[in-house]
Amino acid sequence: MSTSSSSASRASRWGGLSVATGAAILGLKLADAIGPGTAYLLAIIPLVLLFLCYRASLDAANSGAGASRAAARYTIGIMASSLAYMLGLGVAMWVWRNLEPSTELTWLLAMLPIIPIFWMIFVMGRYVAEETDEYLRHRAIMASLVGLGFVLAIGSFWGFLETFELVPHVPGWWSVPIWALGMGVGQFWQSRRGA
Amino acid sequence: MNNRLKVLRAERNWSQQDLADRLEVSRQSVNAIETGRYDPSLPLAFRIADTFGLRIEEIFLRD
Repeated sequence: MSTSSSSASRASRWGGLSVATGAAILGLKLADAIGPGTAYLLAIIPLVLLFLCYRASLDAANSGAGASRAAARYTIGIMASSLAYMLGLGVAMWVWRNLEPSTELTWLLAMLPIIPIFWMIFVMGRYVAEETDEYLRHRAIMASLVGLGFVLAIGSFWGFLETFELVPHVPGWWSVPIWALGMGVGQFWQSRRGA
Repeated sequence: MNNRLKVLRAERNWSQQDLADRLEVSRQSVNAIETGRYDPSLPLAFRIADTFGLRIEEIFLRD
């Protein structure tokens, strides 16, 4: 594997893992399965993964290949939006739980995690548009479709269990971490089969 | 779809990376095309043909 493409691929992997672990830690914290101290301690994991993602992205960007530049731009965009998402969600949740904000302020608080998610979706779309290497673009689209499959399958599965009051309610924002997880699985699956 | 990329590369003593650089694609792309796991688009197939100085049908063969 060339340095540029392997760096880009490593960056995508680190980025996906960072988003997945960050979301999992937030989920555990919001579900009160772990305390704030443990959550802050565990938050080191996605941050280290983000750092690794950033390093791999820079390696890919410095290789000079056009396709890798698109991948590097993608991973840096995902990294930045993921960080904004985690920070936005953390701040919004803390303010909402501790300071009893007004309804108007609560609307604004809700936007803090929503806007980075829109940014993340935009970054994904931009990558598909900018990637000049048709095979890498094909792989990214396939991984996105696997992610979409995860969201639809898990969402409808859980939704019906919820309808019949068999499982507790899960917030809709879980769709993004599940999508990211599915994309990671999709990329991993394609790498394993050598596609 | 079968292809003769590996043979054509070997004749020119090119690595997959050499060919990838000439085509301005990733080495992964060359590997995927060469091993038949990915069929290139028509524009890329023309670029491959131009790179080897051959016609598309002299490189890509029906199953």
